Amino acid sequence: MKKIGFYQGCCFQGPDAHMFDTLKKVFSDLGVELKLLEKTTCCGGNTIDEANKYLVYSINARNIAIAEKEGLDLLVSCNTCYMVLAKTKHALDNDPRLRDEINKLLAEEGLEYKGTAKIWHLLPYLLEEVGIEKIKKKVKRPLSGWKIATYYGCHIKYPKEVAVVDSEDPKGLEELISALGGEPIKDYEGKDVCCGYHAYYTNKEVSLKKVVKAPQGAKKAGAEVLVTPCPLCFKAQDIYQDMAQADEQKVPSIYLPEILAYALGYDPKEAGLTYHIIPLSKISVNIPPAG
Amino acid sequence: MATAGKEILKGGFRMSQEKVVLKVYRYNPEVDEKPYYREYEVPTEGVQTLLDALFYIQENLDPTLSFRFFCRAAVCGSCAMKVNGISRLACKTPFKKLVERANGRPITVEPLNFLNTVKDLVVDHDKPFENLKKLQTWCEPKQPIPEKEYRVSPEEVKEYERPTNCILCFACYGSCEAVMDDPKYAGPFAFSRVYKYVLDSRVDEDHKRQMVKNAMEVGDIWSCVQCQKCIYVCPKGIRPAEDIQNVRGKAAEYGFKEYPGVKKVQHFVDWVYATGQINRLALPEEVYGVDPTPLINKFKERGAEVWEVPKPLPGLLEFRDLILEVMKEKKPHLDIDFHHVRRIDKKVEEIFKADVCTKVVEQFEEQREDFFSRFWKKISEFFGAR
Ligand code: SF4
Ligand code: SF4
Ligand code: FES
Repeated sequence: MKKIGFYQGCCFQGPDAHMFDTLKKVFSDLGVELKLLEKTTCCGGNTIDEANKYLVYSINARNIAIAEKEGLDLLVSCNTCYMVLAKTKHALDNDPRLRDEINKLLAEEGLEYKGTAKIWHLLPYLLEEVGIEKIKKKVKRPLSGWKIATYYGCHIKYPKEVAVVDSEDPKGLEELISALGGEPIKDYEGKDVCCGYHAYYTNKEVSLKKVVKAPQGAKKAGAEVLVTPCPLCFKAQDIYQDMAQADEQKVPSIYLPEILAYALGYDPKEAGLTYHIIPLSKISVNIPPAG
Repeated sequence: MATAGKEILKGGFRMSQEKVVLKVYRYNPEVDEKPYYREYEVPTEGVQTLLDALFYIQENLDPTLSFRFFCRAAVCGSCAMKVNGISRLACKTPFKKLVERANGRPITVEPLNFLNTVKDLVVDHDKPFENLKKLQTWCEPKQPIPEKEYRVSPEEVKEYERPTNCILCFACYGSCEAVMDDPKYAGPFAFSRVYKYVLDSRVDEDHKRQMVKNAMEVGDIWSCVQCQKCIYVCPKGIRPAEDIQNVRGKAAEYGFKEYPGVKKVQHFVDWVYATGQINRLALPEEVYGVDPTPLINKFKERGAEVWEVPKPLPGLLEFRDLILEVMKEKKPHLDIDFHHVRRIDKKVEEIFKADVCTKVVEQFEEQREDFFSRFWKKISEFFGAR
C-alpha cells in the first residue's frame, strides 16, 4: 500500500464532510493510504493573498512542512489549494532568503520547510502514480452510455509555472473517463471558460454569468453530465448553476472522486452522488436524490 | 507551388516544400457583410515566427491581408493576436512550435477577443486605452515637490519593475474572463498599472486612493475571477491577477469596507485565524447578509450531515501565534477583527462542547487558561508593535 499525506483544505466542511470519506475509500481501493494531516490549515483560498501575501507563503510553508515532517508527499484534491500551495513552493524554492525568514517563524512550532515534499494534484496522481491500468481493473460498474463532458478548471492549467496539465490542450480526464467505461466529450464550447466560483463573493452577477457557460456548451455537444477534478468548480456548477439557469437547462456536475467511486461499485450515496443540489435523476442512469 | 520565399524573407531563408495551413480570420467592415476565414499554405521551414508567416502570406499569396506590427521584437505591443485560441505576440511566437503542436491540423489565426476589428487581424485599441484614462493611472506628484528631485530607492523600483514592463499589447485583455462577462471591466493590464502607481512613493496619497476607488467603481476590479489567464498569456511576465489582489488589498487598507470583496477577505482572515479554516456556510451572511438556512436545508433534505462550523485543528494556538508573528513583521492590508474572532470562538465552543468533537473540547479545556493568557499577551504585543 502506498501512503501519501493528505491536505484537506476547506473542501470537506459544511455539507461536504462526506466527500472526504468517499475519497479516502476510493484511494484505499486503489492501493493508496491517505494519511490525513490534521494540523494543516486552509491555504488562504487565493484570497488571503489580498490581505497579506507573506502570510499566505507562511501558512502554506507550514502546511508543506507538516507533510515533510512525516516524510510524506502532499496530495491536494482541489485546483485552487493546489495552485496556492504550488505557488508557495515555487516562491520558496526560488528565494532562499524568503525560505530562511519563514523557517525562522516555523521553528517555533518545530517545523521546517525543506522543499523535499512533492505537491500532487489529484488528477496527475491518479494518472501517474495509480495508473490507468490499475483503475481499469477495479471498475465494477462501467459507465456505459454516459456521455461525460470533461472540465479541468483553471488553476491546474494556469499559471504556467504550476500547471499540471498542458495549459492549451489539457489531457488525462478523457483517458480516465474511458477507463471507467464512459464516453468522454472533450471539445465543447465553453470548456475553457472559468466556472466563476471565486467571483461569487466579489461580484455575484459575473459569477452567475460564468457558471452556465461550460454546462451550456457541454449540453450542446450532447453531454449529460460534467466531470471535474476540482471540488470548487463542482460546487459552482452544482450550487451556483442551480441559481443561474432554468431546470431544463441544468447539467449536473460530478466531482472526479465521486464518479470513480460509482464506477468502482459504490452505491450512489456512498459515492456522494445523492447529495447534489442539481440531482442526477434526469440523466439516463437516473440516480435519484436522497430524502 | 513554387517556394519563392528566398527573396521575401529577411536573411534569405531557404523554404521547404512542406506546408502547413493557416486558417486566417478575414473581415473588412467596409465591404464584408460578415467575417470569414481563408486558408493559406505556408512553408513549415524557414519561417521563424508567426509574424514571418503572415508576411509570407501578404507578399506571396494575398496582399490584402492586414495585420499590425512595428518593432518585430516584443517591444511595441502592436502584433498581439489569437492563435489557436490563445493570445500571443505574433513576433514572439516561434512558428516551428506552432507547426509541431498543430500536428497536421490548420493553425487558426484571429484578432484578439473583445475588441472591435478594424480590418482582419487589426483591432481597435481605443477602448482599453480609454479605460486607462478613466482609472486616472498617472502620477499626480506628491506635495511638496522637492527642490531637486524625488529620491527613489532601488528596493522600491524593484517592487514595481514588473508592471512597469507592460507594453500595452492587450493580450491579457483579449483572454480575460472578466472582460468576457463584464463590459465595464477595465482589464488586467489596467489594474497592474494602478498597482504600479500605488507603490510609487512619488505619487500623491489622495490620488492613490482615488485610483483604487476608480479601479472599483469605474473599472469593476471585483469582477476578476482569478482565473490566472492574464498571467499565462502576458509576453512580458507581468502578473496582473496578483497585482489585482494587491489593489484589492489596498481597497481594504483604505477602509472601503462596504464592498462585498472586502468583507470576503475579512471573513477569510478572521475565520482562518480563529479556526484554521474558512466557513463556507457563514460567507453568505457575512458578505451579503443572506441567510444560508434555505441552502443548508436543501443539503439536509438530501441526507447530508452539515457542520455549522469547521472543526478547529489540533495545534490551533501555535498556528495563531504564527499568524500574529507574520502580521507583526509584515503589515497586512487588513487587520484581524478580534471582536469577530471572539464571536467565532464562542460559537465554536458552544457547538463542540455539545457535539461530536470531544477531543477538541478536551484540548480546549486543558489549554483554556493558557490559551486566554497567551491570547491576550499576543494581542497586546500585536497592537503594541504598531
Ligand atoms: S485573473 Fe482576473 S484579470 Fe486575469 S484574466 Fe482572469 S479574470 Fe481577467
Ligand atoms: S500586462 Fe502583459 S499582456 Fe497585458 S497588456 Fe501588458 S504586456 Fe500585454
Ligand atoms: S511587432 Fe512589436 S511587439 Fe510584435
